[in-house]
Amino acid sequence: MGKLYKYGLWIVTGLILVLFVWWQIKDPTRQFSVSNPGDDHRGIDSSSVNEVINIGEKFQLYGTSASVYKGVWSRFRGIDFDNIAKSSPPLLLKWSGDQPKIMWSADLGEGHAGAAIYEGKVFLMDYDEVNREDALRCFSLVEGKELWRRSYVVSLKRNHGMSRTVPAVNADFVLTIGPRCQVMCVKRETGDLVWTMDMVRQYQTEVPLWFTGQCPMIDNNKAILAPGGSSVMIAVDCHTGKILWETPNPGGLKMSHSSIMPWTLNGKKMYVYSAVGGVVGISAEGEDEGKLLWVSKKWNHSVVAPAPVCFPDGKILLTAGYGAGSMVLKVVPANGTYRVDVLKEYLPKDGMASEQQTPLVWNGLLYGIQPKDAGPLRNQLICVNPEDVTKIVWASGKENRFGLGPYMIADNKMYVLSDDGTLTMIQPDGKKYIQMVQKKLFNGQDAWAPLAIADGFMVMRDSKTMYCINLSK
Amino acid sequence: MSSKEEPVSHSRRRLIRNGMQVTLAISLIGIAGRTVLKSASDDLVWQLDPFKCVQCGRCAKECVMSPSAVKCVHAYALCGYCDLCGGYLKPDPNARTTAAENQLCPTAAIKRKYIEDPYFEYVIDEKLCIGCGKCVAGCTSFGNGSLHLQVRHDLCRNCNECAIARVCPSEAFSRVPSHKPYLIKGDFKKG
Repeated sequence: MGKLYKYGLWIVTGLILVLFVWWQIKDPTRQFSVSNPGDDHRGIDSSSVNEVINIGEKFQLYGTSASVYKGVWSRFRGIDFDNIAKSSPPLLLKWSGDQPKIMWSADLGEGHAGAAIYEGKVFLMDYDEVNREDALRCFSLVEGKELWRRSYVVSLKRNHGMSRTVPAVNADFVLTIGPRCQVMCVKRETGDLVWTMDMVRQYQTEVPLWFTGQCPMIDNNKAILAPGGSSVMIAVDCHTGKILWETPNPGGLKMSHSSIMPWTLNGKKMYVYSAVGGVVGISAEGEDEGKLLWVSKKWNHSVVAPAPVCFPDGKILLTAGYGAGSMVLKVVPANGTYRVDVLKEYLPKDGMASEQQTPLVWNGLLYGIQPKDAGPLRNQLICVNPEDVTKIVWASGKENRFGLGPYMIADNKMYVLSDDGTLTMIQPDGKKYIQMVQKKLFNGQDAWAPLAIADGFMVMRDSKTMYCINLSK
Repeated sequence: MSSKEEPVSHSRRRLIRNGMQVTLAISLIGIAGRTVLKSASDDLVWQLDPFKCVQCGRCAKECVMSPSAVKCVHAYALCGYCDLCGGYLKPDPNARTTAAENQLCPTAAIKRKYIEDPYFEYVIDEKLCIGCGKCVAGCTSFGNGSLHLQVRHDLCRNCNECAIARVCPSEAFSRVPSHKPYLIKGDFKKG
């Protein structure tokens, strides 16, 4: 027994020795290389170069237009931030012949900025690639005639489109954010410059990848902006440009492509912003206006484009693309403060998710288009119950995929624009997918910008051209 | 009588001329025939249609070659040269750097090079590529789809029954003429 043990020990020792020698001679890891940060020799971000930008320096008046139309789609997601046009005239039930008629089109710089409509005028943030200018352009809604533009020179490089934001418009003002975070407030009627702000200079905002996507908000003649940098959110008096309040940003949240959404929880009005690094709720009224009410850093993704979808019961659906998936939070008021619980977190293939567009709520159900990494449901329109956003009520089917296109509801009909310029009208039904009519309106590429509608005229765009169609009966 | 007979030298010249014409005709017919026969029986090789590919990963496992003869290729004309590249970086990466933990490719076969802000170039090291298609899935989901898989014919054994084609779930593999052996994105369109 002792000898056997001794021999065994020798054999094992010998084997280890052989293995050691073999490893030294043949080292199977000798071809491995180390991948360290910085191997790509990333250079300095050119946006940090001190370019002098005279925001709003130029104005061109092309004409005037009196309009009988009074319809309004005043900002990103419309008047009530829900992507539903509530005062639409009756719209066509079927499209025959050349319906819906394309009223006009306009060439644009490459981008994905959607339009706002106010009483017969269309407002759009564009980038003039020839003159290298950010330009707020005003068109007449029915004729498509450009009436005026307010612009300024700023250098941009092509990066999957330049302009991406929808202006905010009210009776007095138009508020814009340019691709490199320059803010401009002008008078709606005349285009006269009221005030400007460079959020990069003033708040050390980091310009998001592919440029700014945040659509500004005007609330009671206050410009509500989320710069990130030194202040997570600010309010500016639209009349004077005076800063009304600034919310500190000790958590270092950064500007995302998402937009601020208003929300009322237990009677308290607040602004919700899904930043890069976390999501915040900030008081929107009263003595504590501008105060950070709650924050959750559990929602932390590098690219966030859809806006938060907030429900009256305290739940918030957060979603983002590029593999991030979605999260459902519950904000619970508790003794004057707020607690934030994570109810659910899942991948795109497991429930309602979105890369660019914000899901919409209609008759208590949630509708949205799944991103490309959602498995078999990729690019399909789906309907879920907000009670459990991972249970699919219905999907549009593999024959009906819509790319990353935008969608909205008007006159009880849902409109979905596919990447290639195909418009589909759907009956938003809670039990099944019902397609009413579909038509390819133009040969589009990357038609991702949010839709706008007023007085039966829908304004849409692809990466290079804006179109206005007439959907009225 | 003798005046009607052609001189001997004339007759020989005609014979040579006719002979040359016949030879030329036979040669031309031969060349034409060979061309027709060749085009009719052109060699076929295996290739995969990148628009049908669903990036299932079987190209890496099923090929009789090790590593697989299927490699990722890059259609630079389609590439967005993005900083946040879905083909290079893992979904929702911690940082947009070349650190190993951020890279999607299991063999680090994609090299990322800074061009100028905000553009980066991505180059495939085919010696390291195993044809798993992870980068293709990322690029297709989040980018322009410029990264795609192709059978490399300098590596492919052109088996009579391709082991990958047999199990390809999207039937992306087919025989293509050997004089046009690649289906590179950008050179042709879907359908």
